Amino acid sequence: MTMPALATRSRSAVWRRQFLLQGCWNYEGMQNVGFAYAILPALRDFYANRPEEALKAVKRHLEFFNTQPAMGALILGASVRLEERVAAGEADPRAIGTFKVGLMGSLGAIGDSFFWGALRPMASVAGALLALLHPLLGIAALLFLYNGVHLTLRRRGFAAGMEGPEGAVGWLKRAALNVRTEDRKLLAAILAGAYAGVFAGRFLVQGGGVPHALGSLLLAAAAVHLFAVLFRKAVSPSEILSFLLFVGVLILWR
Amino acid sequence: MAWRFLLAILLGGLCYLDRTAACQLMLHRPLVVATLMGAVFGNMAAGAQVGVVLELIYLARLPVGASIPPDDTGAAVFGGSAAAIASSSIGLDAGNFTALLLLSVVVAEAGKAADRFVRKVNGRIARLTAESVDRGDMQAVEHGLLAGLTLFAVTGMVLALAFSGVGVAVSKELLPRFGPASRGNFAILLPALPLLGAASVYSCSRTERTAAVFFLTMAAVFGSTVLFRWSA
Repeated sequence: MTMPALATRSRSAVWRRQFLLQGCWNYEGMQNVGFAYAILPALRDFYANRPEEALKAVKRHLEFFNTQPAMGALILGASVRLEERVAAGEADPRAIGTFKVGLMGSLGAIGDSFFWGALRPMASVAGALLALLHPLLGIAALLFLYNGVHLTLRRRGFAAGMEGPEGAVGWLKRAALNVRTEDRKLLAAILAGAYAGVFAGRFLVQGGGVPHALGSLLLAAAAVHLFAVLFRKAVSPSEILSFLLFVGVLILWR
Repeated sequence: MAWRFLLAILLGGLCYLDRTAACQLMLHRPLVVATLMGAVFGNMAAGAQVGVVLELIYLARLPVGASIPPDDTGAAVFGGSAAAIASSSIGLDAGNFTALLLLSVVVAEAGKAADRFVRKVNGRIARLTAESVDRGDMQAVEHGLLAGLTLFAVTGMVLALAFSGVGVAVSKELLPRFGPASRGNFAILLPALPLLGAASVYSCSRTERTAAVFFLTMAAVFGSTVLFRWSA
């Protein structure tokens, strides 16, 4: 059987549709409908005159799927290439499910750590600091710092995936996301330290001499440490804020 | 005021879509949303002040797997609109500012409950989609996704209307009931809030060197800030 061609228009459609991977996020299948929706233009090309096989392919992609949404681009690209091989009779359809299940967990963990645990905090704190100069400057910094990396990784991940599963794995090794995660976490910590320093200097020191300022710094550092310990013990920010709100109500009552 | 709410609904709906269903371009971050809401309700700078503090507070809760973090977008809709209205009426002093930031936690939890509800309804949509595909209707996938997106968008718009409405009501009705002295007492809690945000970033940026670089930078910037204030 000859390899069915993927039209450029369909490839572009798959690329655009990946941004709606979580469009129907649900507890049972999570991103399953979004994934099936994203890969649909490619399936229509591959199984143009074989409606039964097209339906089977769609059902394959309605199985449970969940990963970090930006990393989904890589799996999506590689799945398109695998579907192409399946349609040409060169691969077993079960290979697609095995590939997706095998990669979504590990890519989800890498992506969560990089995007949610490192890149977003770094961009957020940089934006918050610059917003002290001008709000629009802060917003621009936040969006630029996050999306510069986010969109580049989506584009490169999708392109690497389109080279096939081997290309996807090779790109993952070259991308060295673990090193990038570490760097951005460190940068986020530096910027967060600056943020804490600015606000502690503004709010806690209302006069007095050096001893008062030193005491304020130590108090602020102790507060940050206490909050961080509470977060590590799975206390949520909402619970801490609720407690502070309760203290505030008591103050008003007094 | 009606056109302001209309604009808040449109912008809020767009930001809520970005939060989960589409793109994740960070248009839903509190800094962006609170500034937008501040601009819509007449004072962009007041909204941004709230956004700067809210931006970091919930970062410690990652949207991993099936866990849903508190709705910081909703908190920003509430905080931004309330801050803008307060600044043009009773004034956005430290007490009001603190009260709005603390009250936003109620909104964040309400938004989280709404998010859970949407995802449950989406489960029904996904099941119907799978059944339609079983019957041979491939287009059901597109319809299913459109239904999910619409649900996310409509819920976002309803939440944006509700939270901005609550924000306006709090600034117009609730806060003026307390005298300036009572509100001033509330301001004692203000320094804890940005420090909570910094701790949020600190706790999710854990590496071997995080503690050292965080506290050294904090001390250096604190010293510079205090020296600058004393010399000014």
